[in-house]
Amino acid sequence: MQVQELVGIVPWTFVAQICNLFIQMYLVKRFLFKPVNEMLQKRREMADAQIQDAQKAKEEAIAMKTEYEQNMQQAKEKASSIVTEAQKTASLQSEEILKTAAQEAWAMKEKAESDIAQEKRKAVNEVKNEIGGMAMEIAGKVIEREIKEEDHAKLIDEFISNVGEAS
Amino acid sequence: MDIEITGGRIFYTFPFDIPILGKFQITETLLVSWVVMLLITGLCIWLTHDLKVEKISKRQAVAELLVETANKFVIGNMGEKFSYMIPFVAALFATSVVSNLISLIGLRSPTADLSTEAAWAIVVFTMITAQKIKTNGFGGYLKGFTTPIKIMTPFNILSELATPISMACRHFGNILSGVVINGLIYAALALASSKLFGLIPGIVGSVLSKIPFLDVGIPAILSVYFDWFSGIMQAFIFCMLTVMYIANAAEE
Repeated sequence: MQVQELVGIVPWTFVAQICNLFIQMYLVKRFLFKPVNEMLQKRREMADAQIQDAQKAKEEAIAMKTEYEQNMQQAKEKASSIVTEAQKTASLQSEEILKTAAQEAWAMKEKAESDIAQEKRKAVNEVKNEIGGMAMEIAGKVIEREIKEEDHAKLIDEFISNVGEAS
Repeated sequence: MDIEITGGRIFYTFPFDIPILGKFQITETLLVSWVVMLLITGLCIWLTHDLKVEKISKRQAVAELLVETANKFVIGNMGEKFSYMIPFVAALFATSVVSNLISLIGLRSPTADLSTEAAWAIVVFTMITAQKIKTNGFGGYLKGFTTPIKIMTPFNILSELATPISMACRHFGNILSGVVINGLIYAALALASSKLFGLIPGIVGSVLSKIPFLDVGIPAILSVYFDWFSGIMQAFIFCMLTVMYIANAAEE
């Protein structure tokens, strides 16, 4: 078999090796760098997207927190205002109730007093009428009959018994 | 015993003669180069099939590591604007390393042929010159030879030409020395082996002395330096020089 020189340049091999180097460059680029770089690019995009998502979520969370705090604040204010109002209303109402009750009591007392007075007057009047009537009756009876000893006694008894009945 | 260390074998010579280039020959260098290219391309395809964005396999991690290392090497030494050089430098390094290491499986390294390194060096030299012309303009490039004084012009031209020659010869010399020393070692050990087993009397000795037992294992120790260390180192140096020369050429 033929051999080439140990040290020497074979023109065709030289040219072929230049071509080989560029072919190899293309192959490496096509089969190693292109897919890996594409994949790395995709991964970078994904990481970016995830970071953006996370930021968005954080912003949303902060917004929600602010809103929640605002709502809480509002609710607290509302609650305290309601309580204050209620307390005010309650105190007003209770005062009113007390006032009304006092008025009613006073009115009732007045009425009772006036009733009592009226009853008293009525009773006095009745007693007066009765006594008057009885006196009239007695006077009538005295006039009707001749007054005798025994009649006298009888009359007195009658009177007394009438009084007893009347009373 | 005669030892002959020769260049690569020539398997076939095409009969047509082309001026300057001569006859096209299918040499061992070319065949092994194609094997190297197939190996690299196959490795690339195997590494990058089924790439995933998440939950990557070890295979993909290796592919990513290679790409990241190449990116870092080129961009770190040349700057961002030379990112188009990444595949070239990667291909150069891969071809060089695999060519150097393929001698481990018994094939003849394509880099043990000066044609290969000369081809690479010429490509790199063209790139350096193109970059110089791009940076300074053609006039500026020519003017660069007369610095610092006009009398230096021949030396400047010489040093310019020395760049590709030294690059090619450095790489070639290191690999060739490995080939030569390996050849010598194998022959010497075979000789020692036949003499050693020849001491055994009778037919056993004459049979055993034909088999070079000492060639098993011992050359592997030397191959750690001549194939592994030297092979990877020279590939690295070649790429490093390529990158540095082109980056320097880009400086105003």
